[in-house]
Amino acid sequence: MAVTEPARLSKRGFVTSVRYAPAILLGRAVRVLARWRKPGGGSAIPGVVVNRIAPGFLATTLNGFPLGLVIVTGSSGKSTTTKMLVAVLRAHGLTVFTNQSTANISQGLTSALLERVSLSGQIAGDVAVLEMDEGHGAFIAGSLTPRVVALTNVMVDQIDRFHDSEMVAVLLGKIAARATETVVLNADDRYLTDLGSSLDSTVGVARYGVTAEVLGQYPRGLGYAETAANRLPTGTGLQLTRVVGRDATVEFGADSHSIRLPARGIHYAVDALTALSTAQATLGDGFDPTIACAALSAMPAVFGRGEVVTVGGKTIEFVLVQNPSSFQLNVDSLEDGTEQILVIIGSDVRDPSYFWPVDTSRLDHVLIASGLKAHDIALQLAYDNVRVDCIEPDVPTALDAFLALPDPTSGVKTIIFSADGMRRTRAHLRLVSNAEDPV
Amino acid sequence: MTATLPGRPFTVISLLPRLLNTNGDAGNARVLAQRIRWSGHDAQVVDVHSRADLPEQVDAVSIGSGTDAALIPARDALRTLVEELRVWSNSGVPILAVGTGWELLSWGIDLSDGTVLEGLGLVAGQAVPRKTRATDDIIIISKYGRLIGFENHARDYVGAEASPLGRVLYGSGNGTRSSGPQIEGLIMGEVFCTHLHGPVLARNPALADHLLRAAFSRHGLEYARGVRADSADATAQAARNEVAVRLGQNAE
Ligand SMILES: [Zn+2]
Repeated sequence: MAVTEPARLSKRGFVTSVRYAPAILLGRAVRVLARWRKPGGGSAIPGVVVNRIAPGFLATTLNGFPLGLVIVTGSSGKSTTTKMLVAVLRAHGLTVFTNQSTANISQGLTSALLERVSLSGQIAGDVAVLEMDEGHGAFIAGSLTPRVVALTNVMVDQIDRFHDSEMVAVLLGKIAARATETVVLNADDRYLTDLGSSLDSTVGVARYGVTAEVLGQYPRGLGYAETAANRLPTGTGLQLTRVVGRDATVEFGADSHSIRLPARGIHYAVDALTALSTAQATLGDGFDPTIACAALSAMPAVFGRGEVVTVGGKTIEFVLVQNPSSFQLNVDSLEDGTEQILVIIGSDVRDPSYFWPVDTSRLDHVLIASGLKAHDIALQLAYDNVRVDCIEPDVPTALDAFLALPDPTSGVKTIIFSADGMRRTRAHLRLVSNAEDPV
Repeated sequence: MTATLPGRPFTVISLLPRLLNTNGDAGNARVLAQRIRWSGHDAQVVDVHSRADLPEQVDAVSIGSGTDAALIPARDALRTLVEELRVWSNSGVPILAVGTGWELLSWGIDLSDGTVLEGLGLVAGQAVPRKTRATDDIIIISKYGRLIGFENHARDYVGAEASPLGRVLYGSGNGTRSSGPQIEGLIMGEVFCTHLHGPVLARNPALADHLLRAAFSRHGLEYARGVRADSADATAQAARNEVAVRLGQNAE
């Protein structure tokens, strides 16, 4: 299939209004001042200024891309999915405006747009792809009109903020209701299938899911708050038909393609499936599965998400656990016979019982438990019959001791960490994360 | 000494772990069973989702905490077990209920929309809405020593004043009272109710051992803490001390 030139993709019209020119100029001036006062900092401040003097700027600009706006949201996997989707769209020749999710999405986005926009309000780009938090529904409600909204899943993962799956589903429903063309959703997630059947009939629904065979490999399920009773019937959406290590196979109706995932684990395979389904909805006839799968396979591993790095000649695999479901999936997909494991659970896990739904017994032997919650995670490991040799709350000390050990006879040195543990590890080992897409 | 039960392991049941395990409190059943094994006896955890899963003999009961969306299905499922729960509580079988699991055993739950969800009426008192969710570490003084956990609840509890689990040193517990000390939890015989997550029995093995002594004494056996509990209990103490010191209390 020929790749559609971005220039020939349907023109939705650039934003041509010049009424924002004064706001743009002022925002840029503030940006220069903010950087002058604090090098590298102050990126959100110009956004505050522009949003105050020209409140329509953000929405008008985001809605104005020729191929429209695509929003990726859900409990888990939205960040990886967004990066995958951007890679697939760029491989199709599109210029993509994208963001990194921040707490203050409106100011952060405005600042990012200011860097790119011309004084006439025009921005070079074919499509905008935004990652959004469940809680950002209110922000987009009155203003944004996404062409495509992709929903990853509903997981019980942020117990302090969103206590109920129902509440998460309602928040996602508010975002999905803004879609003008297609809602892409995970058909294995019961809350999302329900949400899909309650959508306005003017909006198309694109479903993706795993086969019964793939699901059968995970007796504990895929971590969704509730798994849908039935699998997606063949031919009604993109299907994940196989996952082995980093290799996955996706069925696109008639033909199937294989992908080399950026990290091992079923959740990365499902993220890839979500990204492919969303790219298809965004590109329509211009979507080419061969290009898409090649782009996904060429992605570098994401830092802290199953990435393998070499530090001082030692090979280490990093495993980031963000919630009980990802912890369980990571434990279950750990290579057999991994004999050197360091676990770092930091201050970000406020309630230590949070991880107790996870059965950690498969770890069998952990060399060091570290982080502010070192004792709490060691306690859980002890009750799961996992031997813990040493508890060292100080992360740098634990890392140095762990790296100083000779290479394991089987498996690689494996560090399982929470987000806080990851930050401390990265700082101590002076590792820079993979270059994120500049916004 | 190892006198053991005639031909069967000690049986700890975990009630409704699919509905009532949002904060990992079903882990309390795992803690009890492990400590029984560490003391030299066989033990098993039986997950009970409905009456059909009930084992013939029950030596201890753990009820966890769930989301508000699960309140009605959990209450309805617990109702089918109300006779058993009554028999167990009257015959000294230790029962631990945490968070919404506790609220469901009460007279009822006042919901924020003004309606009342009727509870099982096994323990005195009821849950009432609080202004903001209590989400923080909590430290209490009890008969079983200083207990430290994490609380995460949107409702206070009234009517437990006659027999609380302890007095609050730090945190919200059952809620602010107009007079008297701030209290946390409820005890009725060997029924223990609390807001403490952690899970509470892993963080506070003294309370776990109290429940185990109760379970053992019903069979004329004496519970003795196993040697393997030593390192776990030292780890638990260090975990408690981390919280205590951070909140300006003494280390143990
Ligand atoms: Zn709770």
